[in-house]
Amino acid sequence: MPDNHDYRKALHNDIDELRVEVVRLAAMVGDVIVRATEALLSYDMDAAAELIMHDDEVDALSIDIEERCFKLLALQQPMASDLRAIVASMKINADIERSGDLMVNVAKGARRMYGVQLPPRLRGLIQQMSDEADRLLRLAVDAFSDRNGPLGAALNDIDDRLDLLQAEFVQAIFEAHAAGDIDLQAAVQLAVICRYYERVGDHAVNIGERVRFMTDGRLPEHEGAARVKARQAMAASAERFGVDNGDPGEAPDSP
Amino acid sequence: MIVAPAVVLVALLAGLAGWVIRGSVVRRDEGRLARAEHAAVEAERARAEAADQRLQAVIDAVPQGAVVYDRTGRPTMGNALGRRFIDARHRDALVELAARELVAAVSHNGAHAARRPVEPAGTPRMVVDVQARRLAGGGAIVLLEDTTERRRLEEVRRDFVANISHELRTPIGAIALLTETMVVEMSAAVTAPEPVLRLANRLHAEAVRVSRTIDDLLLLSRIENDEEPVREAVVVADALVEAIDRVAGAAHERHIEIRLDLADRAVRIRGDRRQLVSAVFNLLDNAVKYSDANSLVVLRTLPVDDEGNVAIEVEDRGIGIPARDLDRIFERFYRVDQARSRRTGGTGLGLSIVRHVAENHDGRITARSCEGEGSTFVLTLPADPRSRSGTVAATEVA
Repeated sequence: MPDNHDYRKALHNDIDELRVEVVRLAAMVGDVIVRATEALLSYDMDAAAELIMHDDEVDALSIDIEERCFKLLALQQPMASDLRAIVASMKINADIERSGDLMVNVAKGARRMYGVQLPPRLRGLIQQMSDEADRLLRLAVDAFSDRNGPLGAALNDIDDRLDLLQAEFVQAIFEAHAAGDIDLQAAVQLAVICRYYERVGDHAVNIGERVRFMTDGRLPEHEGAARVKARQAMAASAERFGVDNGDPGEAPDSP
Repeated sequence: MIVAPAVVLVALLAGLAGWVIRGSVVRRDEGRLARAEHAAVEAERARAEAADQRLQAVIDAVPQGAVVYDRTGRPTMGNALGRRFIDARHRDALVELAARELVAAVSHNGAHAARRPVEPAGTPRMVVDVQARRLAGGGAIVLLEDTTERRRLEEVRRDFVANISHELRTPIGAIALLTETMVVEMSAAVTAPEPVLRLANRLHAEAVRVSRTIDDLLLLSRIENDEEPVREAVVVADALVEAIDRVAGAAHERHIEIRLDLADRAVRIRGDRRQLVSAVFNLLDNAVKYSDANSLVVLRTLPVDDEGNVAIEVEDRGIGIPARDLDRIFERFYRVDQARSRRTGGTGLGLSIVRHVAENHDGRITARSCEGEGSTFVLTLPADPRSRSGTVAATEVA
């Protein structure tokens, strides 16, 4: 049937365009990651101010993407993988937009840190965290654009490196503060800033999970939900058999 | 009667046959028509395909990245370089984003073309010059050019000039100042050995010369790298008077008279006043240096010619320039007579500065000369059309 065929084609074109828009949004935010770090490390207040302004453009594109999703859901009644692609895009859109906000926070942090001379070790770690956050976002976008479920699933483990860097950074803050290189205010600011990078990594992991949902319909939350159900069942049976098992422990991961 | 039904039958048969035959003829006609139609459609399609292929070949031949967008703003075709940015990711996606914005701008607004450099953050550095041009019949073509290397070189050059200024000019300035002090001190002292005083004088003269060369080099590269040229109305006569003032000292020393001869006092050009003064000064400075003492240098302007250009002439009665050197005197550091040039304290950059000023103002510099009689340099610049005597009065009234 020509009608049916056209309907799918139009939908698929729209989903393709949606994908391109999401990739563009991610490119904008990736750019912001690099620039925010540059502003922070080079004490460039103009660049920081520009980034804070620029966030409006990121938001505008993000809202545009969300509206596209709503329209597709409402008008095209997508099914199965098409539906998952649209829902995933919507969620990924939010993750990317939030990452952009976090980097704007870094730019604002750069303003608050103005005049503080950062010790080289802290500068180096900030650069590494930034590079890592940027890399994770890129990998997440690659996974999304290529519909690469396994890569999406791997992001959780890839993110470990950023988590380690953050832990190392916090340790370095303590040391720098103890050595009298930075005052308490700066130390607190830095601790907050490193959280922003770490959160971008978490958003990338989220995107990876959404990609996995998009490609094969699996969601990690489902596994968590399954664990809750298993725990409840165990508790119920324990009650029934009079066994005191207050801590059911962690249910084994489903295969 | 049996005949009647037979006749009827025959008639019927004949009718049927006729109908069949007619039908087949019609069908045959229809078939022929359809085939002809089909052939026409095929030919049309082949033509369209050939046109498309030709267009694709044209786009492939564009040295930059090229992408054609249709009237709805979607990319329809592009060459290999351009396709890199369609459906691109990461940093390349920002280039495409800019391309789409420019396409939208030239499609909706009055502007026919728009361009913007895009420089995504991060390493390696990447600068892509994106320009969109509206196409007749809707849509636009986008040209993408990787200008990373060019930008880098420009910056290296700019930095180099700034560094020269700092690293060379400052110490040379100090040497000039210190040797001057030495000369003054030693001239005052009674016991100063004569050779030391002479060497100190030489030292001072050389330091001043190098310092002047550096100044000229800096001026030259400022003129060359003029990214946002000044375009103000400059009254040519005022600029000439200023240039004469600057050279007056040197002219007076050699008893050379400079005569100013203006065809039109009001004529103006659109340009950079400082550059114009410096160009004319360099021409006059040369004329004074290479003229015999007690001679005459004429600075004149000619009436604006039919093409709207004003010519500024500097004529001297000096030694002249050999014909074989005339083509090369506008090159940097080119000297007709090395020894003489050093004696007169020339930097070898003066005429090069004049040439760049002329080029910056869409004008030209030419020279004619006869050895032993003198030289005439002609700086031709487009006159400000509103400045011609008649129209000036009109605008002033208005």
